[in-house]
Amino acid sequence: MKRFIILAAIMLVCVPALADTSELAVENSIQSRIDNVGTTLLNMNRIPRRIVFAYTKKEKKALLSLDKDLTRRQVVVYDGLYQSVQTDDELAAMLAREISVVLKSYSGIWGGTLDSVQVALGSKKFETVADKRAVDYMVNAGYNPLALIVFINKTCPQKRFDRFSRHNLTSKRLARIYEYITYKYPQYLENNDYVNNQYYQNFLLNSILNRRKLEEKIKNQSTEELKYE
Amino acid sequence: MNKLSILFVFLSLFCFNNYVIAADNEISAPEIQPEKTWLPYDYTDTTAVPIRLAVTKEISSEKGLFEGQKLEFRAISDVYYNEKLILARGSIVQGKVETIVTSGMNGFPAELMIDGFEIPGIKQSQLMGGYIKKGQNRCFWVYPLKWALTLIPVAGSLTNFIKGGHVKLHTRDIITIYYFPEWR
Repeated sequence: MKRFIILAAIMLVCVPALADTSELAVENSIQSRIDNVGTTLLNMNRIPRRIVFAYTKKEKKALLSLDKDLTRRQVVVYDGLYQSVQTDDELAAMLAREISVVLKSYSGIWGGTLDSVQVALGSKKFETVADKRAVDYMVNAGYNPLALIVFINKTCPQKRFDRFSRHNLTSKRLARIYEYITYKYPQYLENNDYVNNQYYQNFLLNSILNRRKLEEKIKNQSTEELKYE
Repeated sequence: MNKLSILFVFLSLFCFNNYVIAADNEISAPEIQPEKTWLPYDYTDTTAVPIRLAVTKEISSEKGLFEGQKLEFRAISDVYYNEKLILARGSIVQGKVETIVTSGMNGFPAELMIDGFEIPGIKQSQLMGGYIKKGQNRCFWVYPLKWALTLIPVAGSLTNFIKGGHVKLHTRDIITIYYFPEWR
């Protein structure tokens, strides 16, 4: 009995302590991966601004909380989103989007305060801009921009309407990104590394109507902005 | 025997805690080795040569511009580095419309980002300073007006119809980009 109590006491101390150390090591490796990809994006795009990346296991706060991207020039990678990241391309997609939002807080008067407020108030418009800039940043840093489509397709839910929302419908965002890549970086679609990716194929499947609209636009050589669904 | 057991448990806990603290210290302060991998960039050198450009014809974000469109610029002065002419005055340089932000409700201005300048003999990686121009920002007076009008029902929402200004790039607007000759 005494031996059992002693053994139990040792086990009680050992197991949580070992779990803590391995968890810390895992978090350290995730943070290193995020720092590596994030810094590659900054350096390859010659972005002369300070932006830091932080990984957190906390849940993302309510919609109305101030975004750290804009207030602290810090890209926060939440655990819930990170779980959907499979490749470095997808991680770059997530970080590149946030970098373009942070950069907005550096431009304009009052140390970028006014521009930050504008991004927060007109978030629908700037959401599209951030998506497009993310594509540019990814291409400049040598990542495949189609990963942005894959990542958004996997992580962003589809709402019913966006007329009164602060965010665009995810299907519209995806269609606009696809259009942007089609016109600006067609080489990624011609030599498509994602053609055998099931998530990309899922995007192709759920965007048939929107892609048909784009095909019509290209065929008619139109420059009008398309109204995606 | 009882005393011996208690002593044993106490010693086990003490030793193990010391081990955990040591292990934690090892993890929290990892040895950082300098990376030996070759990087495709090296920003050590601070020598920068300004290149001043202007559009060859006026452009506006209102219509006729699209993302990825190539634009022509002319050098407005000779550019020298180490007494060697790099770009002669009047030379035509191509740049690209990177992103267009259309003007929006409540006085949000349009925005035009130009980058990807192609200068003969200069690599893209040696150039810094994409050009950004905004239209007239009417948010300054639209938002105070909106808040003042909220006292009258629905009236505040009318300011939604006030749009921000378009971007106009005139031939007299000077665009300065920087050439870093020692960068890779």
